[in-house]
Amino acid sequence: MTFRIGVDVGGTFTDFLVADDDGDALLYKTSTTPDNPADGFFRGLNKAADDHGILLEEFLAQVETIVHGTTITTNAVITGNGAATGFLTTDGFRDVLNMRRGLKERYFEKYAPPPPLVPRHLIRTVRERVTVEGIATTPLVEADVRAAAEYFKQQRVEAVAVSYLWSFRNPAHEQKTYEILSAELPGVYLSLSSEVLPQIRVYERHSTTVLNAYVGPVLTRYLERLEHELAGSGFDGTLLIMQSNGGVMSPKVAQRFASNTLLSGPAGAPQAGIYFGAGHHFRDLITVDMGGTSFDVALIKDGVPSVTQEGVIAEHRLASPILDIHTVGAGGGSIASVDTGGLLAVGPASAGAEPGAACYGRGGSAATVTDADLVLGFLDADSFEGGEIEVDANAAHEAIRTHVAKPLNLDLVAAANGVYEVVNANMAAALNVVSVQRGYDPREFVLVVAGGAGPIHAAPIARELQIPLILIPRGSSVFCAAGMLISDLKHDYVRTYAQDIERADLEVIQRLFNEMANSGGQTLREEGIAEDKISVSYSADLRYVGQFNEVEVTAGEFWDPSGGLDQLVTQFHARHDALYGYAMAGTPVEVINLRVAARGATEKPRLTGASSAAEPAKFLPAKRRQVFFDGNFVDTPIYDGLAMHAGDHISGPAIVAQPTTTIVVPPDYDLACDKFENYLLYPGSEDVDELCARLAHGE
Amino acid sequence: MTSEIDPIKVSVIGSRLTAISMEIGQTMLRTSRSPIFSEARDFVTAIFDSQLRMVAQTAYIPVLMGALPYAIRSIAETFAGDVSPGDVFILNDPYRGNNHPPDITIAKPVFHENEVAFWAVSKGHHADVGGGGVAGYNPGARSVWDECIRIPPAKLFDAGKPNAALWETILLNVRLPHLVEGDLNCQVGACTIGERGLSALLTKYGRETLDVAIEKILDASEQQVRAALEPLPDGEFSGERLIDNDGIDKDRMIAVRVKLTISGSEITFDFSDSDGQAAGYVNSTLPNTASSCYLALFMAVGEGVRFNAGAMRPLHVVTKPGTVVNPLEPAPVGGCTISTAQAIIEAVWLALAEAVPERVDAGWSRWCAPATMGMNPRTGRPFGDIHFMCKGGAGASMGLDGWDHLGTVICAGGLRAPDPELHELVDPFTVLQYEFWPDSAGAGRWRGGMGTIYRWRVDADGIPAANFGGGVHEVTAPFGLQGGHPAPPHELAIHKQDGETIAVDAESFYDLNAGDVFSIHQSGGGGYGDPLDRDITSVREDVINGLVTAAQARANYGVVVDPESFDVDEQASANLRNA
Repeated sequence: MTFRIGVDVGGTFTDFLVADDDGDALLYKTSTTPDNPADGFFRGLNKAADDHGILLEEFLAQVETIVHGTTITTNAVITGNGAATGFLTTDGFRDVLNMRRGLKERYFEKYAPPPPLVPRHLIRTVRERVTVEGIATTPLVEADVRAAAEYFKQQRVEAVAVSYLWSFRNPAHEQKTYEILSAELPGVYLSLSSEVLPQIRVYERHSTTVLNAYVGPVLTRYLERLEHELAGSGFDGTLLIMQSNGGVMSPKVAQRFASNTLLSGPAGAPQAGIYFGAGHHFRDLITVDMGGTSFDVALIKDGVPSVTQEGVIAEHRLASPILDIHTVGAGGGSIASVDTGGLLAVGPASAGAEPGAACYGRGGSAATVTDADLVLGFLDADSFEGGEIEVDANAAHEAIRTHVAKPLNLDLVAAANGVYEVVNANMAAALNVVSVQRGYDPREFVLVVAGGAGPIHAAPIARELQIPLILIPRGSSVFCAAGMLISDLKHDYVRTYAQDIERADLEVIQRLFNEMANSGGQTLREEGIAEDKISVSYSADLRYVGQFNEVEVTAGEFWDPSGGLDQLVTQFHARHDALYGYAMAGTPVEVINLRVAARGATEKPRLTGASSAAEPAKFLPAKRRQVFFDGNFVDTPIYDGLAMHAGDHISGPAIVAQPTTTIVVPPDYDLACDKFENYLLYPGSEDVDELCARLAHGE
Repeated sequence: MTSEIDPIKVSVIGSRLTAISMEIGQTMLRTSRSPIFSEARDFVTAIFDSQLRMVAQTAYIPVLMGALPYAIRSIAETFAGDVSPGDVFILNDPYRGNNHPPDITIAKPVFHENEVAFWAVSKGHHADVGGGGVAGYNPGARSVWDECIRIPPAKLFDAGKPNAALWETILLNVRLPHLVEGDLNCQVGACTIGERGLSALLTKYGRETLDVAIEKILDASEQQVRAALEPLPDGEFSGERLIDNDGIDKDRMIAVRVKLTISGSEITFDFSDSDGQAAGYVNSTLPNTASSCYLALFMAVGEGVRFNAGAMRPLHVVTKPGTVVNPLEPAPVGGCTISTAQAIIEAVWLALAEAVPERVDAGWSRWCAPATMGMNPRTGRPFGDIHFMCKGGAGASMGLDGWDHLGTVICAGGLRAPDPELHELVDPFTVLQYEFWPDSAGAGRWRGGMGTIYRWRVDADGIPAANFGGGVHEVTAPFGLQGGHPAPPHELAIHKQDGETIAVDAESFYDLNAGDVFSIHQSGGGGYGDPLDRDITSVREDVINGLVTAAQARANYGVVVDPESFDVDEQASANLRNA
């Protein structure tokens, strides 16, 4: 027997999905151990070994691949505990990084800006200048680099970032700087903008390069230790690290491009959506993941998740390509309150995990979404989180009454329902942003819902946007871990080539595309990917001449220069129209960036069906309770999800309960258990087979 | 209508309206040509209902927050009974409800069952509107005709068909037609995106429900503002600030005087004692004056307020026609959104600081930098740009140092600094220096935000520059509060290639040629509280970081720091501080 394991270390839980070569999968959850995340990691592995009746060493010897999602870098930035970092930049531009483009987002609030990643005294400047045309008009003054290195040494920095003006046009000065710094500062982590993000826009490039330096040593230390411990426990398979772009990479590449893990936490979800959708040939999907404080939404069109370069972490810009995951402050812990004008708001403030919802009885008194769900009967006070947590229904009632019902002059239930409706509207608005606002019609998409509180709220959200079908994977509680396990290796490359389309030099474009494709191929080969598993896709960022933002258009897997750039331009006009309500055919277009995504296909586990070992199937007899639907409490059957099998079908109103997931089936919805034992939730007026056929794409 | 409505539905509809207004803004941000829109975000979007009440708004440049109601009323009144589906309206004339000429208003009616139910509106600063100015600023203007092509309320599209004659008239009268055409299209597209969202909302809820909900949403905002004003002490408070000059008479400062009356949950801004209207372009239209008052007030006490027509109900602005805050046609007005708005906001803050000093910021650095326009020989294309890198510091407030590099107060922190590389890509300029200006912030227990040094070389001949704004004198530099020090005035100069140095004044034109270096030191923000009370660790850190020199640490803060070792001489510092 061989195994493939997805391990997703989240803020609260570490999720495991252990797939064997028979296609069976076991799910595990352990508590995350923030001080050393590897502890929680190994506890889960030990559990898995136990369940197979073997020692950890024997088990690990049979593991081919571990795909690991880690938030260690994310946490370092959020808590300000990254490496002591120095930054070298062009003389005269010392503060562009810390100016952060001079923005304060909340005009009418008094608050302090985020602390800088690099304090000003660790930002040193070097005399050098490259022009818009890539010409070095001021040669690099090497003495300045040496003087800075001396200061960094004295200040004991662990990492140095280097980002000069126009270095993406001419990286010679950065490369020379690298040589000097490697000699002067042995053991110090170095991050060059011309390697990390050779792309126009100074602040964004600086910030990304500095973030890479700031978390580089943190990730390096963590991975070295983890690899050592894994090897010591008998593992000689492949360890892969999840990236923010939805791909995975080897630990070696991860150490060089540590910033690529910064927003990787939610990146497994779209991948999981693709995987679970594939069984039905669904390729247009919207995935949602509702946690305690936030709600993550991603759109997948034709099997490809949307990508953005507009990442932000702790108010610092991360401009490398990441999966376009739209996050709003709507979760189970989101706090409901009535403002001074008498209007109800839910979130973005959250009671989080501690103290949490009022019903947790851990000292939280704010009214939260979870409290409302409990009042409405969607959650069961007697078997909350599979009976793991004892909840105080009275506290929930009290919180909703005090903070919502009284100020709005509503009764308790109407107030709770109000919280439910407002948070649903907020989440629906988030779906609207990724779909309608980006030119996609949600009626053509399947909503894939990760575990937790999401399936309680899924039907009203889908109804609002007229999304016809909801897919809830049975193993949804380890949704992201599943997504990681099926992710390919993926490396993104960018080169700025700013030129009018009419004057663009196809040979230059060809050369830049080739360079990037070659880098991608080489990196993938170093990661042990066979030639026939490597694929490359080409795209470009275009805009009308004079615009200041670009639209990315894809040339697909084959770049054929013989047709010129017409195909890209045609696509650009259409995309611009869909996104922004107009196109200007005949108006000059310019290219700004060229991009290549190099992909190395990994072996995918055959996940035929998932059973849960950590959450043993307790066969609960179906019971009934009062649940609030359409203005009234209705006597509603409660089904045990783990007892449902392929082909089972129920009509709303109903609740389907699993230990950590509750699905609310409203009166006008039906729920079916599909052949993979995942749930399909859809309007009762529809025929599920017809619906699936309509939404499926060809084989 | 007194129908009852579920309060939950009101909340949901309120959020949807705000989201649609933001969506209009996002579209403008992503598609505009002029860096003034897309990089600096100098625009505002809003939704008005059929009664012409502003129901939701997204003001990227907050001084535009109160400017739209006048414009939309003017359009609707002009075309009463003559509004059809597919119409798109335009307006820029400051004497027909617009705030100042470069900010062109575009409005699109949204129909439901053959009636106008909403208006989707956007307003933004165009790269050029003709007249004798640069990017809309003409410090030499003596009348509105010197400033712009005047566009009264007019149909840019008539029932979906472009009004070709009007388009051509506009584009023939501007020097950067490709930018203006692109940005007008961008505004129309953005309003179309808004129309899409509003139509969906009308289909979902129906007109009647939305009307009732809007009534409640406006009432709720009024309640919010009253709740914010109620705790303020009742009384009369006053403030006065000076505008550097009007562009015509460089030696005369112009006073804006406000008397603030707080009474219960109402507030009146009375500007009757302000100076008479000026010969030059610093006269402020009523929309701009009112808008500046709202911004000044909400930056102090407006946290959490949803700004709409309801929020304005407890606020009253009183002006005397023929004064610098409410001029008579045809006085020029182009500089009012910057120069005059800054002075109005500062005067209101000084008055408010008499009532609630703990809610008011010390003075922010005034805008003072050029707009430039011309041909870029490298790209072969014309360009028009405002040098928005030139952003000073924000004022400090109780408990907080001022934010660095935020720029003029009219933007309240929303003015995004452009990217230096994109700037060099499009314009014939090379940026030589763009970093903090040490010792530029006013000292205080909480010090002002850092100002900026911005130096650039001109790489083409024949570039006109209109240097607009103020803050070049001691009395117009950012003020301190509660014992905090003022920041120094700006320092501007042009260094010609032949070695000559030209002093640069506010509200003035200069001709630039290849090799000239334009050098700007933009002041930081004013300080708050006595600098001798600033904690020594913070002073030392500022010295280590090169933001405050050891000399200033000693002179202003009474802290003796060794400039090499950064050791603090505790005894010497105590002596200075207790002296």
